[in-house]
Amino acid sequence: MDSKRFSLEEFAALFPGRFESQEQLLREYRSFLAVFEQLQQIPVPALSDQEKAAIFRRSWRSAKPDWSWAWVNGFRRPAVTFAAGLILGCMLMFIVLGGRPAPAVPLPIGPAPIVRKPLTVERMRYTQVYTGELVERMYPQIENPKIVLEKPAESAPPQRVLYGTLDGGEIYVVWNL
Amino acid sequence: MARYDSNSDEALIEAIQRGDGDAAACLYYRHIDRVHRICCRIVLDSSQAPDCVQEVWLKVFRNLGRFRCERSFTAWLNAVAANTAIDYYRRATRQGHHADIDEIGAESLVADEEPAESPFDGPAVRRRVREALEDVSANQRTALVLRYFEDMPVPEIARVLQCREGTVRTHIRRCLLTLRAKLATRLNQEVQEYGQ
Repeated sequence: MDSKRFSLEEFAALFPGRFESQEQLLREYRSFLAVFEQLQQIPVPALSDQEKAAIFRRSWRSAKPDWSWAWVNGFRRPAVTFAAGLILGCMLMFIVLGGRPAPAVPLPIGPAPIVRKPLTVERMRYTQVYTGELVERMYPQIENPKIVLEKPAESAPPQRVLYGTLDGGEIYVVWNL
Repeated sequence: MARYDSNSDEALIEAIQRGDGDAAACLYYRHIDRVHRICCRIVLDSSQAPDCVQEVWLKVFRNLGRFRCERSFTAWLNAVAANTAIDYYRRATRQGHHADIDEIGAESLVADEEPAESPFDGPAVRRRVREALEDVSANQRTALVLRYFEDMPVPEIARVLQCREGTVRTHIRRCLLTLRAKLATRLNQEVQEYGQ
């Protein structure tokens, strides 16, 4: 041990407020330096080269099998574990979905929209009612337009009438075409 | 192995983590003497120190895979060496295998036949110091050894012993006081015996 490391400052810091005077501090410090001098007399015998080699051989050989699993330690890093989990999750999803890619368009949520036909014809015995997008395009000013083709009797000629509303349903329209 | 001599500890550790035995040997020979010194001074028995050193290196090689290079390898190795030596000393003391008892017995038998040695002779001083060191706790001794033999800063010793810095200073203070008291008492006894 190098007693220079045991400085007076360090000694004073180890025993704060213990000494009444600087003289007492120095006296005590010297007595501890004497302890250090005695400690220095304990030698540490060096290991021989054979001993060193034998220790290395035994410790390395005993620890070596664990190195085959050293790659597992990489997974102790959170980022690696997270990335590996993500990849594994994606692979599992792909397998579960039977190798099909997920649909590009999201599935609609809620009731399916009503598909409107361009023209709907409602047939009765003497009457036929035409509604739908085609009729709306023919009479864009009229709200909910419908053309009614009706015959007063089977042999009578048909009469065409347009029904609908205007101004948000305030005016009812009946127009003989 | 010579090809690794200029490599840093971190580079060697990376090579060891890939299973490179030459890098392991290089790292081992670079630090073996310090590890041996720490073990010897904590275990207080040079005949048991090689076993303790082997235990240290076994732990080092087994745990190097988990070692993060952001930390200083030397500090980590010192911590492993000190803690292993403390455990080893406590185990040996508990099991009563500590060699000093036998050694002291043998020495006293020999001393009966030889002329009495002076209390100021080298062997007498060494025996006295070693007996005094056995009277302090393993933690106190470790704090002293790491601070003044290995020049380790107090915060690092606190990490090794898993205690506060103030506790490390208390360990060192108590150790020094005990050593001084024990050494003085033993010296007085020996001087009296020698005088008779």
